[in-house]
Amino acid sequence: MTELISKYLPLKRSKKRNRRKRALTFSVLGVILLLILVGSGFLIDTQGLVVNFDEANSAPSWSHPFGTDWLGRDMFVRTVKGLSLSFWVGLLAAFISGVIALILSLLLLVNKTLDSLVTGLIDLFLGVPHIVALILISFMLGGGLYGVIIAVALTHWPRLARLLRAEIMQIKNSEYISVSRHMGKSWFWIAQHHILPHLMPQLFIGFILMFPHAILHEASITFLGFGLSSEQPAIGIILSEAMGYLSSGMWWLAVFPGLMLLVMVAVFDSLGRNLRKVFDPFKGQKH
Amino acid sequence: MNKKITQALFLLLAVLLISCADQDKNNAKGEQKDNLVLAIGGEPDNGFDPTTGWGQYGSPLFQSTLLKYDKDFKIQPNAAIDYKVSESGLKWTITLRDSIQFSDGKPLTAKDVVFTFNTAKNSASVVDLTNLEKVDEIDNHTVEFTLKQRNSTFIFYLVSLGIVPKHAYNEAYKENPVGSGPYKMVQWDKGQQLILEANPYYFGKQPYFKNLTFLFLSQDAAFAAAKSGQVDVASVSPTLADQKVEGMKLVNLKSADNRGVVLPFVPNEGKTVNGHPIGNNVTSDIAIRKAINIGIDREALVNGVLKGYGTPAYTIADHLPWWNPETEIKNDGDIEKAKEILENAGWKVKEDGIREKKGTKAEFTLYYPANDQIRKSLSIAFADMMKPLGLKIGTKGKNWNAIEKEMHSSATLFGLGSHDPIELYNAFSSKVRGRGLHNVNYYANDSVDAYFEKALQAPSQEQANLYWKKAQWDGKTGFSNIGDAPWVWLVNLDHLFLMRENLIIGPQKVQPHEHNWPVTDFIEYWHWKN
Repeated sequence: MTELISKYLPLKRSKKRNRRKRALTFSVLGVILLLILVGSGFLIDTQGLVVNFDEANSAPSWSHPFGTDWLGRDMFVRTVKGLSLSFWVGLLAAFISGVIALILSLLLLVNKTLDSLVTGLIDLFLGVPHIVALILISFMLGGGLYGVIIAVALTHWPRLARLLRAEIMQIKNSEYISVSRHMGKSWFWIAQHHILPHLMPQLFIGFILMFPHAILHEASITFLGFGLSSEQPAIGIILSEAMGYLSSGMWWLAVFPGLMLLVMVAVFDSLGRNLRKVFDPFKGQKH
Repeated sequence: MNKKITQALFLLLAVLLISCADQDKNNAKGEQKDNLVLAIGGEPDNGFDPTTGWGQYGSPLFQSTLLKYDKDFKIQPNAAIDYKVSESGLKWTITLRDSIQFSDGKPLTAKDVVFTFNTAKNSASVVDLTNLEKVDEIDNHTVEFTLKQRNSTFIFYLVSLGIVPKHAYNEAYKENPVGSGPYKMVQWDKGQQLILEANPYYFGKQPYFKNLTFLFLSQDAAFAAAKSGQVDVASVSPTLADQKVEGMKLVNLKSADNRGVVLPFVPNEGKTVNGHPIGNNVTSDIAIRKAINIGIDREALVNGVLKGYGTPAYTIADHLPWWNPETEIKNDGDIEKAKEILENAGWKVKEDGIREKKGTKAEFTLYYPANDQIRKSLSIAFADMMKPLGLKIGTKGKNWNAIEKEMHSSATLFGLGSHDPIELYNAFSSKVRGRGLHNVNYYANDSVDAYFEKALQAPSQEQANLYWKKAQWDGKTGFSNIGDAPWVWLVNLDHLFLMRENLIIGPQKVQPHEHNWPVTDFIEYWHWKN
């Protein structure tokens, strides 16, 4: 990667303001942050989740940095657990979504009818408000972990599919593809050898940028009561529970988990944007 | 520029709204008004028709019942001045008060009583009058009920069923009730408010408060309204109860509104007609049920989950006239004793800390309705308290539809509490096992069933209560925790209300399951402190 960057270095006006280098640094930082978060979800001591009435309802302090809830459970532990669950849900959902987007967009190569079907489907999904489709699908599947993952996966592919489709359309018309075609290669072979490598950056960045959406939507349908079941340590559950305690002045129940969710989503978002700068030659050079 | 104007307008609107609220507050604190604003929730989905269930808990407000309970559950006359039961126990005769009028000025006669009971009997609703053979008008002021079987709990219908007027009853009645109760309806804005005024034709004491407004607000909104002085009475949850609100006092009503865990009584033995599994091999062992009953620390649950606003629950009907005080548990929270019971019964601790007996691990799932915060907290705390005993209890929040599939084979967190002793029968009689929400754990005990029969056959309330008590514990067996222990009762919730400091509501009954209308039971006696 650094090789790639140094290749462009002479063209730059100033070393300090190299966008790509900066983007790369930010990306690495973002990845490290996320790794810490997910790792701590595994390693953290679950002793804090035990009901402890003696320490119930205590405000943030050194021993409980995020305070405790009405059962005396440590909010920091709950938040970290919730975020790591959100991470896995988001990862799985975004991955499935990416695969769906890729497969559907590749149908463009097969024939026109299938492609127009896909375009119609994309329009249909983009036409229905996101949250409504999410609730419908999740409710139909009976909620729970699988319901949420499938619902999020099934509703987040259209944007990426549309992007990939445009990309494929462009590549499809280039000369080497028609040469390859005339040499008797099948579309499957061409997709595998000529098109997929070109799509990879788009797909990867699309996947990363889908992540924050997936996490936020998971939290919101869980908050609304259509998502994860209430015994799961999810951020949406924590936030909806906190609603009942806000009037009694327990602000820490909602503020810290909400803030952490925001931070996680922001880190993912900036990771996606920075990676795009690294990968995309046009954006990388812009000032 | 445009944006700035909009912002300024918003600001103005906000200031206006705030000043309005302030004005209300000043008015309320000033002279003694004769109207009350209440935010106690509980807007009925089915409207205010007693024949489909309105007023089953607490008084029907618009209508009057034939008889009523006083605060000690003694039967008092109301629309009827007297009732008699025949020797056979099958014929009940009531005599109506002279010259009662509905709020539209028309007289209430025996015809209306007959009409009410027939309508209720034919309505497929929570009002279960299947045991009523027929109801006849003897003369203008006398009505005779004929039962199919002797049933001492029939009196509950005379106490709870409000009389509806035959001449004014139609499809729209539930939205526009006419009755002979202390209040009549002025206006009902669904989802928002209900406005009542005193019924000038009411035969009883004219209420002090001439107008009542019930606001249907969420708990948080009700609390905010109480804080800003816009309501005189608001129901609050234990979470909010400790907040001081200027000019308001916290009224804490004791209740039989209980929460308990129902444990499957039989081993895993097949399925219901709907294909739901029945029984559980862990909880069907009496040692497990006894150990849980002794090991659970009810006091800690009351103080922890309910912030002290509750009482430990021992049975389904604590402190009601048919409660057997022998069933009170004084030594709970005794983990050592509980472990001893488990050890003696052959449940040995394995390496993972969970007990096992003949290859069966001591673990089961506890279901709770996911939208009920208190039941959720109780479930989690309950499961945590059982860990030191070597019992592994998983908690799962579901909606009622999903719970109904699991409740015969897994533990479930229930809430009951009624002023009708038939609830005991419905929860513990083997004749109703698995029927709807009745006896969900398939409990069966022949001597309990025999006492139930005797209680239903009893000629008087006192004798019936004697048998209800014996069904709980007769010295040898019973359905309470010292007997077969099919349930683990945890807590009774206090019903909490914020009320104006100078509002006097007088002594109340032990409150039933609902934390809303029952508080209005004696509302005609409410007044300001002089």
